[in-house]
Amino acid sequence: MREKRGFWSRLEDIPREVLYGLLLIAFIIPMIKPIGFPVPVSPETQKWYDTIDKLPAGSVIMIDFGYSGGGEPELGPMAVAVYHHIFKRGGLKAIAMSTSIEGPLLWDKAMAEVNPSQYGAQYGVDYIHIGYIAGTETAMAAVGKDLRATTSTDYKGNPLDQYPIMEGIKDASSFDLLIVFTTGGDQSEGWVRQWVTPYKTPYLCSVLAMMKPTMLPYQKAGQIIALTSGAQAGEMEYLVKVPARGIKSADVMTLTHLLIVVYVIVGNIAYYGKKYSGG
Amino acid sequence: MFGKIGDSMLISGRIFALGMLIAIWIFVLVSMEQAKKKIPTFRKMAGLDAIPEMVGRAAEMNKPIHFTTGLGDLTSTVAPQLVAGLSVLGYVSELAAKAGAKVIYSVYQAQVMPIATEIMKDAYVRAGKPEEFDVETQIRYLSGEQFAYASAVQGIAERERPAANIMIGPFYAESMLFSETFFRIGAIQLAGTARGYQIPFFAVVCDYLLIAEEIYAAGAYLSKDPIQVGSIRGQDVGKMIAIILIVLGVIALAAGSKIVLDLLKA
Amino acid sequence: MSLLIRRQIPIALVFITALLIMMDYFLKLPPLDARGVSWTSPVVKDLQNWGVILTAFALGFGAVNLFILHSRHISRRTVKQWPFSVWLLLMIILFTVVGVSYGATSPEYSWLYNSSYFALSATVYSSLGFYMTSGIYRALRARNVDAVILLVTGGIALLKNAPAVAVNAPFVVSIDSWLNAIPTTSAMRGIMISAALGAIALGIRTMTGKETGFLGRLTEAEKGG
Repeated sequence: MREKRGFWSRLEDIPREVLYGLLLIAFIIPMIKPIGFPVPVSPETQKWYDTIDKLPAGSVIMIDFGYSGGGEPELGPMAVAVYHHIFKRGGLKAIAMSTSIEGPLLWDKAMAEVNPSQYGAQYGVDYIHIGYIAGTETAMAAVGKDLRATTSTDYKGNPLDQYPIMEGIKDASSFDLLIVFTTGGDQSEGWVRQWVTPYKTPYLCSVLAMMKPTMLPYQKAGQIIALTSGAQAGEMEYLVKVPARGIKSADVMTLTHLLIVVYVIVGNIAYYGKKYSGG
Repeated sequence: MFGKIGDSMLISGRIFALGMLIAIWIFVLVSMEQAKKKIPTFRKMAGLDAIPEMVGRAAEMNKPIHFTTGLGDLTSTVAPQLVAGLSVLGYVSELAAKAGAKVIYSVYQAQVMPIATEIMKDAYVRAGKPEEFDVETQIRYLSGEQFAYASAVQGIAERERPAANIMIGPFYAESMLFSETFFRIGAIQLAGTARGYQIPFFAVVCDYLLIAEEIYAAGAYLSKDPIQVGSIRGQDVGKMIAIILIVLGVIALAAGSKIVLDLLKA
Repeated sequence: MSLLIRRQIPIALVFITALLIMMDYFLKLPPLDARGVSWTSPVVKDLQNWGVILTAFALGFGAVNLFILHSRHISRRTVKQWPFSVWLLLMIILFTVVGVSYGATSPEYSWLYNSSYFALSATVYSSLGFYMTSGIYRALRARNVDAVILLVTGGIALLKNAPAVAVNAPFVVSIDSWLNAIPTTSAMRGIMISAALGAIALGIRTMTGKETGFLGRLTEAEKGG
């Protein structure tokens, strides 16, 4: 015969379908009807913004579009906001590459969202993508040593020499800033080893929120100027004044995080209720 | 003249690291020699000690044991974690073969398959049951794409309901998907990774956890081979040096000197 | 198979390869070429290329394994499995045909990729949010002192990551920043240092042939030899 379970016991083991169902509702409501919760700008996002803003005219930026399709919903909005900033600021050259095989496809998607022509930016003059370069750290090291020896074409297969943006670009010393968007720890840490340590390239790094604690030692050691997570895209959009997916997701984040806090409280009440009532 | 040759051969910024590598190499080799005379004692690792119980439970329940070494490949920086996982695979396979339980090894890296085949075949031979090893159904290449591999592992969990799940190697975002799915089907779980990102996820869900260096020591711990065990002592000496350098660095910085910092950057 | 082929040759290969790669990283060994690059650099580059080629070969091996395993499921009509096996084999064939016919960077291949794998991959990754929720619900319980510490720090991190809370309760951000800057960073540094040392010790054992777990374990007879 099935043993009858007490109230506290049942509360302690709420079926996951219920937990997931409520969470799904908390996801959907703000997506349909944005609440408009305020978005705080953290010091690290501000530092990131200021770093790009204060670059001298003509500065060249290396951007690793190194996230995977799975990480796009989190890192895509951040990458889009940063590109908006680069183009809005003007006078900067953005050379992208990908250490993730899906990078070029996702870069195309991001550019379609940014629409660089609205800022007068032209492909090959103000920005370019030199393709996926296999080998992760080996690729970073190779591009740092000799970019032209590593790849001679852009992601479309056209020769790099035909693009004005590539004039004078040889190796890591040709770059004034490194920006990395990645879902992989091998990439976010690899750039420190292959570019920051040997060439002292200033480094801005954006990773998944759950990767941040592991990257903190690098930031504290001064190897990363600013470390953000994709979850902070709303802050960047606020600073760049281009509200998009990031700000929208700030509402979702507030609601879902608060719901999980409620879950934790309920779980603990149930745990102690069961402990002291005997079931 | 010697100085000039030395200067030209060393790469600035990597000199101290090279010195430390040589020093640790010497400590490890000396410790391995000393262990031949006297085996060092070291703390128990509950996760590894639990493996026979996990295998026994699977055999009793007539259910398989799921094993995976996560993502990464043999030519990347996470390769040592993969090798550490493979070291445990042989041990688990041998125990399972003896107990009559089936091990399913889910593979993400195709280049690991020939190595895994050799390891598992050897294990079954040692257990005296070479005929029971079926490479096609026990070593499964799932996909080289992260979430395709993750979905496939979840599928194995849901369909074949393994009694135990052992995950040792470099794990990424799939760690939580695996541990929660196997928790739901009631599998007893051992997880181990040196990727700091994923340790918290494994810690909250899995029954046993190997953190960072523990996975590298797993092969030596399970082999009970004095020479291998001795090397762990050598690595502990390296750890002591790291602690001393940290303390000296803090004191020096507090006193306004960058001597230790400069030394590390040499 | 003789011990020489099964153990000694692979161990010698591992030793030489690892030594070359380490030498290339740490030393600039003469003779140097016109660009000042050590003779080890092209050798290491070749070794890495061999690795890439071997990986590509292994992919073929993996594909064969997939075909054998799933063909068996289909022919045996394995319950709850065979329809998925059919679908898997169909998709492999479809991707291969489109990739070979149009090229892996073609719009056709991109469309196929974006509308199938990309969407599915993002979905599986996003489902992590649900798994975390149920994990947190069970794990963050004040059972003992350790669990209380986890509960409190986890709660602060959750609140800090809710943007509206962070705006209205700045002290949460301050506490979270302190937790990240001091205990988390210290713990992560400790893990990094010990993991690196563990990897070095494993490397030494592997290079010197003391750890052979990756080649299968030594039998008692082989140990004796």
